Amino acid sequence: TSNVLSTKKDESTASKDSTTEASSKSQESTAETPKQKLLDIIGNMKVEVSYRKKLQQLKTREIKKQATNKLEGPDGKGSMLQKTTEDTQRGKPLSPELVEAASAVASFLPLNKKQTESELIAQLRRHEETTDKQKKGGSINIRNVISEMAVKRQSPAQRGVRISNRISLELDEDGQRIKPERLSPQSFDSKRSLKVGRRLNIFTKASTETENALRTVSSPTIWDLEFAKEIAAITAQPPRNGFEEMIQWTKEGILWEFPIDNEAGMEDDAEFHEHIFLEKHLEDFPKQGPIRHFMELVICGLSKNPYLSVKQKIEHIEWFQKYFEEKKELLREI
Amino acid sequence: QDPTAAHYMFQDDPFLMPRNAANSRLFSLSKESGRNAAKYIIKQFPQYFDKTFAEPNIPCLMPETLTPQIEGLSEEALKERIHLRRVKDSVDLFDQLIQAGTPVSLETTNSLLDLLCFYGDGESTPGKEDLEEPGVNASEQKVPKREFQRGSQPSGSRWRENNNAERIFKIMPERNADSYCTMIRGMVKHGASAEAYDMYIGLLNERHKADVHTFNALITAVPYLKERFLERWELAKVFLNHMAQQEVQPNLLTFNALLKTLRRCGGVGRSMALLVIKEMEALDIEPSLATYDHLLFILYRGADLCPSGIISEVLDDVGKRSFTPQDPDDANFFATAMQVCCDLKDIKLAYRLNKVMEKGDNWKFLDMDRLNAYWSKFFSLLCMMEQIDVVLKWYKEMSSSLFYPTPKNILDLLQALDAANHLELIPSVWEDMKQLGFNRRQDLLEELLSLMSRERHPDEVQLAFAKCAEEIKAVHEQTRREQSLLEWTGSALGHVALLFSRAGRTQEAWYVNMMEHFQQINRIPTDQVMDEFLNCAKQTNCPDDAIKLVKLAASLGLPSSQRLKNRTEKEFELSEKQK
Repeated sequence: TSNVLSTKKDESTASKDSTTEASSKSQESTAETPKQKLLDIIGNMKVEVSYRKKLQQLKTREIKKQATNKLEGPDGKGSMLQKTTEDTQRGKPLSPELVEAASAVASFLPLNKKQTESELIAQLRRHEETTDKQKKGGSINIRNVISEMAVKRQSPAQRGVRISNRISLELDEDGQRIKPERLSPQSFDSKRSLKVGRRLNIFTKASTETENALRTVSSPTIWDLEFAKEIAAITAQPPRNGFEEMIQWTKEGILWEFPIDNEAGMEDDAEFHEHIFLEKHLEDFPKQGPIRHFMELVICGLSKNPYLSVKQKIEHIEWFQKYFEEKKELLREI
Repeated sequence: QDPTAAHYMFQDDPFLMPRNAANSRLFSLSKESGRNAAKYIIKQFPQYFDKTFAEPNIPCLMPETLTPQIEGLSEEALKERIHLRRVKDSVDLFDQLIQAGTPVSLETTNSLLDLLCFYGDGESTPGKEDLEEPGVNASEQKVPKREFQRGSQPSGSRWRENNNAERIFKIMPERNADSYCTMIRGMVKHGASAEAYDMYIGLLNERHKADVHTFNALITAVPYLKERFLERWELAKVFLNHMAQQEVQPNLLTFNALLKTLRRCGGVGRSMALLVIKEMEALDIEPSLATYDHLLFILYRGADLCPSGIISEVLDDVGKRSFTPQDPDDANFFATAMQVCCDLKDIKLAYRLNKVMEKGDNWKFLDMDRLNAYWSKFFSLLCMMEQIDVVLKWYKEMSSSLFYPTPKNILDLLQALDAANHLELIPSVWEDMKQLGFNRRQDLLEELLSLMSRERHPDEVQLAFAKCAEEIKAVHEQTRREQSLLEWTGSALGHVALLFSRAGRTQEAWYVNMMEHFQQINRIPTDQVMDEFLNCAKQTNCPDDAIKLVKLAASLGLPSSQRLKNRTEKEFELSEKQK
């Protein structure tokens, strides 16, 4: 599968069509899977029509070569293997067809010729190496290969590779491709629904008593507070009209609450009668005489005073009481 | 309610109403930043704001006092600083206390650890927290997530080795389960998954029990602990089994975290997702929107799509009740669902989804950016699947009020017009494009021009097209200060020339098609253009033009130059000199 993978990648780029087949001619290429055909189509869509013909020629040449190689038999294959292994050594030149194909592509692309050519040849080298590695290596980590390939800078001609990357990213764990036709009966059953099905069977439902027992009383930690804030922020959208805006302002306290509450913000605990009917504080004073008269006037004034709290008024009266007590001796003398 | 009006928050000055998505975002952010600037001023200079005129006092408009009141080395002072979330001060005070030999209680130390783990050793800057409008906040947080690389963890600040939290943890004389739990949560939050796992092992070794939040954090960290799908699932199951053993009841967030992990488990996720849902049901935990979001993502991603059975059921469930937010990921549900509808190319599902969104408070889950994405996808689906008059009706109502069309939307609209043979509406689309600021986008201009010039149209239409072409030409040629010159492409130039010539504006057509012009930009006119010009020259009876044309063709080395020459000779009466 790894070889198929790498060949597929290359095939989706027009230029690499011929070249990869050249490099993989010594390896056993599997039969054309439907996915290969699909990638072929996609890759070819990216290719300009003008040089398709040339590639066809190259392709037919390679296929012929491949056929002859297969005829050679396993021994010949072995020797071919050797040769390509040598070829893929760094520094050794690639086979001339590859170079020719690369230059053909470069000449048709409107970009900088030399640069494209060198890029293509470098890419070919890399492909040879990776196919080689995968040939030798035991367990293949496809993911590394793919991720590595995805990261490289791609010239526009190689966008097809990216498309095949995206498709082949749906790998099962051990590298087996998920084929569109193969639907495992368990996972993709069309009768699948939310209502029927098995469950994990890991947890059991706790009875309510244990739930209550487990609920520990602790002040909300910073985690809880921040989480609550985050949750509230999800649905906090800006107001859609003036009414919503006013609602928001009322909640924040910017706007008064309607109907207006006159006592909003005042913390007076006392009722009105405690403010006005202050006579009960006069019990300690003499019942007759100028002091009483005076005190009654004081009480009258206090009862009309909205600015003092009840406590303050009582303190006021007590002050008077103390004062008069002190002066009692003085007055007695008079 | 006026369906074509912009959002309420923009209704101030008609000139300042945003015309495209970028502007709307900019305006809403600027409004919010103005508010924040005011808040900042009040906070920084409270001394100027100490007159309380209002009776009763309006506390939220007054500056807050955030300075710690208790001075001196005491546990009370430490507690106060922790409460005020002053990270650095708390750490310093704690160190001083330890050095002075005063024991700090376990509870206080734990709350200090809480503070440190939550902020990851950075400072908590109150200004930054409410930098964005809460609705826009979610989209801001999405931006770092887009730079997500495989294998690395997106996080705000990263967990440094041996930072204050770890240091304090190590020097604690005794630790209880809470200490471990908060450390684990902090580590997971800031990207130190492996350390979190080690800490968890430590917790197990001490025979403590973790709480449900810790387990949730551990489950979210699973994708960063293991690479292979099956291993991830196994590890998650290990955590779940521990939970069951330690008799910790899972909650909604546990299952959501589990599904979030399964999102990154490929095929394994697909097989296991429904089992998780059934487990939730068995425990009587109501799924939230985030649950459905994860489910849809797992089942409908990728090349092979599930049939639409599941999403129908999901929509049924969601449509039955109005949701309250329970998970930060709830907001993604509608976008994912609409994406699935688009992938399945099912317009009826999309209509159902719209109904669900309008039910109760569900609309609140879509903030400004998500709303735009949602309606944008819906519009693309409409263009693909519906008749043109329905499309146009939606378009008139929706653009600039519900969403701002993206370039893709405009392309889809053009294609829909093409399919319905209503190409005469193209000039009005061009007007919209100008308003949206797309008039310099190469791909859109190409599409527009090619559609206009493909066939001949009745004359008024042709005139309107030519006017568009003229404006497009102007766009190409003007260089404003910061904008770079828009390059002509060969086809664009050809189309413009065609349109001009068809409308009888030959003078301009020639100007456009000046030999130098074409050669200047190294482009080659197509045969169609050359033929059209010849026709044009014939109409205006101008053999000189025809000769100029032939000369141009020859100089560019076109294969059709011979043919043109023949035609010219046949159709025009040329004087000897001209021959």
